[in-house]
Amino acid sequence: MRATSRREFLRAASGATAGVASWLALGKAPAFAQKRELTFLSWNHFVPVSDDELRRQAEAFGKLASCEVRVDTIAHLQMPAKIAAEAQSQSGHDMYRTAGADAFLYEHLHANVDDVVEKLGKQYGGWYPFSAEMAKTKSGWKAVPWFWISFPATYNMAHFKKAGLETPKTWDELLKSGRILKRQGNPVGIAISHCADAHSTFWSVAWSYGAKVIEADGKTPAINSDRTAQVIEWYKELYRDAMEPEVLSWDDASNNRCILAGKCSWIHNPISPYNAALANKMPIADEINHHNSPAGPAGTHSAPPILGLGVWKFSKNVELAKEFIQFLFRKENFDAWIVASNAFNHPPLKNLADHPIWARNPKFAMLPKEAEFAHPRGWPAKPSDAVQRIDDNYILADMVAKAVNGMPTKRAMEWAEQQVALALKGQLKVG
Amino acid sequence: MAVGPRALEVTGLHVPGRLARAREWWEQEHVFGYGLIVPALLLLTCLVAYPFGMAIYFSLSDYWVGSPGGFVGLANYRDILANDVFRQTIQNSFVFTGIALTLKTVLGVWLALLLARDMRFKRLIRGAVLLPWVIPTALSTLGWWWMFDSLYSVVNWTAIRLGILSPPGPNWLGQSAYAMAAVITVNVWRGLPFFAITVLAGLVSIPREFHEAAEVDGAGPWGRFWHVTLPLLRPVLAVVILFSTIFTFSDFNIVYVLTRGGPVNMTHLFATLAYQIGLNGGNLGQGAAISLFLFPLLGAVVFLQLRYIRKE
Amino acid sequence: MAGARDREVTIRSATFTYANLVPFLAFALFPFYFMLITSLKSNAELYNLKSIPFLVQTGVIADHYQYLFQRTEFLTWMKNSLIISVVATSASLAIAILAGYSLARLRYRGVASFGTAVFVTYLVPPTLLFLPLSQVVVWLGISDTIWALIVTYPTFLVPFCTWLLMGYFRTVPREVEECALVDGASRMQTLIRIVLPMAVPGIVCAALFSFTLCWNEFIYALTFVSQSANKTAVVGVTADLIRGDIYYWGSLMAGAVLASVPIVAVYVFFLDYYVSGLTAGAVKG
Repeated sequence: MRATSRREFLRAASGATAGVASWLALGKAPAFAQKRELTFLSWNHFVPVSDDELRRQAEAFGKLASCEVRVDTIAHLQMPAKIAAEAQSQSGHDMYRTAGADAFLYEHLHANVDDVVEKLGKQYGGWYPFSAEMAKTKSGWKAVPWFWISFPATYNMAHFKKAGLETPKTWDELLKSGRILKRQGNPVGIAISHCADAHSTFWSVAWSYGAKVIEADGKTPAINSDRTAQVIEWYKELYRDAMEPEVLSWDDASNNRCILAGKCSWIHNPISPYNAALANKMPIADEINHHNSPAGPAGTHSAPPILGLGVWKFSKNVELAKEFIQFLFRKENFDAWIVASNAFNHPPLKNLADHPIWARNPKFAMLPKEAEFAHPRGWPAKPSDAVQRIDDNYILADMVAKAVNGMPTKRAMEWAEQQVALALKGQLKVG
Repeated sequence: MAVGPRALEVTGLHVPGRLARAREWWEQEHVFGYGLIVPALLLLTCLVAYPFGMAIYFSLSDYWVGSPGGFVGLANYRDILANDVFRQTIQNSFVFTGIALTLKTVLGVWLALLLARDMRFKRLIRGAVLLPWVIPTALSTLGWWWMFDSLYSVVNWTAIRLGILSPPGPNWLGQSAYAMAAVITVNVWRGLPFFAITVLAGLVSIPREFHEAAEVDGAGPWGRFWHVTLPLLRPVLAVVILFSTIFTFSDFNIVYVLTRGGPVNMTHLFATLAYQIGLNGGNLGQGAAISLFLFPLLGAVVFLQLRYIRKE
Repeated sequence: MAGARDREVTIRSATFTYANLVPFLAFALFPFYFMLITSLKSNAELYNLKSIPFLVQTGVIADHYQYLFQRTEFLTWMKNSLIISVVATSASLAIAILAGYSLARLRYRGVASFGTAVFVTYLVPPTLLFLPLSQVVVWLGISDTIWALIVTYPTFLVPFCTWLLMGYFRTVPREVEECALVDGASRMQTLIRIVLPMAVPGIVCAALFSFTLCWNEFIYALTFVSQSANKTAVVGVTADLIRGDIYYWGSLMAGAVLASVPIVAVYVFFLDYYVSGLTAGAVKG
C-alpha cells in the first residue's frame, strides 16, 4: 500500500517535471524574434508615479526610434550588487542609473558622453557645478547628471506652533528649539546609523561649521580638527537633549515614519514624506512643511543625493542610449517628469529648474534655492570612488555614534581619521 | 537496460562484439563509480571551482569590481587585519555563531524531545514548528524588522503592556547588546526548526528497547536522556551542528536587513562586511579576503568533524 | 484503580508536553501571525501609534493583496519560482543520486576524498561568489533568463543532496544489491530498480530541502535576472515593493505570506517522509 503510493508519487512528480519542461520550451520561443532593444536599469523611484512617467516616455521614445525600450527597476539597496555583477560580467543593461561615485568606480567601463553633456549644457543654460562634478572624471564625462534630490528640513507646523517656536535658521537654533520640542513629546529626528540619510546630514552640518573630512587634494584626511569637534559636540547635545536613542537604529525610512506618525517635529530629509502623505491622503500632510537646510558659523551647505545616467561601454546600443537620454531631457519630457515626482526630482540644468511647480505650492517654494549651497560629498576635494567609500563604510555616522555613546570626542575623531585614511589608501587605479 | 545502450550510442560503438566488451568495461566497479560522479564533478568544477578559484585570486590581488589588478600577495589580508572594524567583525562573528548555535542546539534537542511524545495534532504541530524555516528569509526578516522597529515595535509594546519593561523599552537595533540579541533571536527563530526536526528524526530512529531497558534498570527521565538518548543522538547532532556552524558563520540576510552592521559595526559579520567593502566600495580584493579569512579554520573543523562522523 | 492512575499519568504527561510546547509554538508562529495581520491592515491603522499591533481594529482589508495581484506581476513570479525550483531540484536530484550512490557504495580510488571535496564546496563564501558566477552565466549565454537560475542553483543543491543521499544508500542492505547483480542485472539496473525504490524517503527529503533552498534563494535571483517577467517571487516582491524610504509594508507582508503558502502545503503533506528521510541520512551519514 505504502510502496505503491510512493511509486505513484514519483511517477506523478516526473510527469509534472516533463510538463513543466515542455511549457518552458514553448514559452521561450518568441524571445528570439525581436527588434532592437534598449535596456535601462533604474531604481524604484521614491515617488512611484515618477516611474510610470519614465516608462511612458520610454515607450514614446521607442515609437520614435522604432525600437523597444525596457525599463527595469529594483530597490535602491539592491542596485550595487546588480551593477557590480554587470560590470564584472561585462553584460547586462545598456544603461543604468548611477548614484554616488559610480561614474568614478566604473570609469573605464562607461562610455563617454561628453557630446550629450555639452549639447544639453548649451541648450539649458549650463549645469549646476555640484551636479556636473559627480559625472566628470579625468577621462571625460562618464555619466549625464540626471536629477538631484533637495535635502531640506521637513517639519511639523503644529508642533512648532504649540511650542510657540519659529523654524530654526541655524543648527544651533535647532538644538535650542529641539530641547523644548522634545519636552513636548516631539523630538527632532536625525539618523546616526548605517543609512544614507545619516551621511547626507553629517556632511551638511560639518560644512556649515567649516569642518571638512578630506583636504582639497583628495588624499589627506582632515577630519581631526577643532571644527569637527564642534560638530560632534553639537551632535552630542542634540542627541541627549532633543532626540531619542531610536536614531541610532534608523534606516532611511525611519525618519519618514517618525514624522508621518506625528511624533517627530523636525527631520532632515527630502520631501518624500510629504509626498507620501499626499498620495495616501493622510491628514498629516496639512501639518508638514519644509524650510531650507539650516546654516552654521560657516554658512549654509548641503549634500544632496545626485543621480546620473551612465551608459556601459560593452553595450551595443551606445548611440541609441545617448539619443534616449537626450529625449528624456526634452523640455516637455523633463517638465512632465518633475510634475510626476511632485517636485522631488530637481533638474541639474539651470534653465530646466525654472519650473512653475515650485512656485505653485508654497511648501516647495524654497526648494530650488537648495542648489545654491549644494556640494558633492568630499568637498572641497573632488568626488572620487575613495570619497564614496567614506560613505559606504559609514565612517562619519559611526564616529558620531561612538561619541554620543560616550567615547571622548578626540578619540572618536582619531578613529575616524584612521578609517578615512584607510578608505583613501585603497585607491582604484584606472588604466 | 535503458541507460546502457544510450551511453554506448553516444560513444559511437555499434559493432556488437565491441558492444559487449564496452558493457563489460562499464560494469567494472571503478569505471561505473567514476562514471556516476562525472556529472556532479563537471558541475562543481565549472560552476563552483572556477568562481572559488577566482575568489582566491581576488583576495591575492588588487582587484576592483570590473577591473583586474596585479598580484599583491597577502597585502589584502594584512590590510583588513589592520582595520579595527574587521577585528570587531571577527569578534562579532564568534559571539553570534557561538550563542546562536548553543541556543539552537539546546532548544532544538528539547523541542525535538517534546515533539517525539505522543499527542494530538502531531502533524499540525510539527508543521507549525517548521514554518520559520520555510518562509523565504528575505521576507520574514523584513517582518522581524518591523517587529523591532524603533517606533512601532510590537515586542516593546507587548512587554510594556505586560509590565515586563518600562517605557519606552529597549532600542533593539540601536544599542549594541540589544542589536546582537535581535539578530541572534532571528537566527535562532529561523534555524531552530532545522535542528528540531533533524534531531526528531534521530530520536524516532532510536529503538524503544533501549529506553525500556534503561527504565528497568531504574533510570529516571533525566538519566535516560543523559545516558541513553544523548549518546545515540551524537552522530545526528554532529552533522546538524556542522551544517549549522557553516550556515550561521556565513549568515548575511538577517544582519543586512536588520542593522546593516550597525550600530557602530557591532553586528557586522564576515558576509556583511565583505559585501560592504567588496561590493558597495568596489574593493573586491579586500572583500574576498574578508570572506575567505575563515576558510582555513572552517576547513580544518569540517575535516575533523567529517572524520569523526565517518568513524561513528 | 490501576486504569485511573494510568489515565492520571497520561493526562499529566500530556499537560507537561503541551505546556512546554506553547512557548515554542508562540515563538515560531507569532512572526507569521504578525505578518499576516500586517497584510490585512489599512495603512492608516498600521502607522497609527495608538492602535493595538496584534489586532485589526478598523476592518480587515484585501487592498494589499489586490495591489499585489493588480499592480505587480506576482502570479508570474510565483510561476517562475515554481518552474525554477521544480526543474533545478529534479536535475540536482538526478545528479546527486548518481554521485551519492557512487560515493556511498562503490569502492574505487579516491572515493573518500571526493566525498570530502563535495562537502567543502559549502565553505565557499557565497556573498561575493555571485560575481565570478555571473561571468559564467554570461559565457553560457543564459543571463537574464530563468535558465540562469536553473543552471546555477544545483551548485548549492548537489553537494547537500549528495551528502544526504550517501547516508541513505548506505542503509540499503548490500545483499539485496548483490542478489540482483548475480541474477544478471547491470549495475545501472540495480541502482534504478532495486536501490532507488528503497531510498524513496531519502529522496523525498532531499527534494523538499532543495525545493525550499531554491524557493528562498535571493542573491543569484537578484543579479542574474533583470526582466520583471523572469523574476522569482522573493526577488520580485522585495524589488518592487521597497521604494527607497517608503515601504509597502502591507503588500510586502502579503507577498511573504502568499509566497510561503506553496512550501507550507508541500511540507505539511510530506512531513512524515521528511522526518523518516532525515533519520537515515543523518544518522548514517
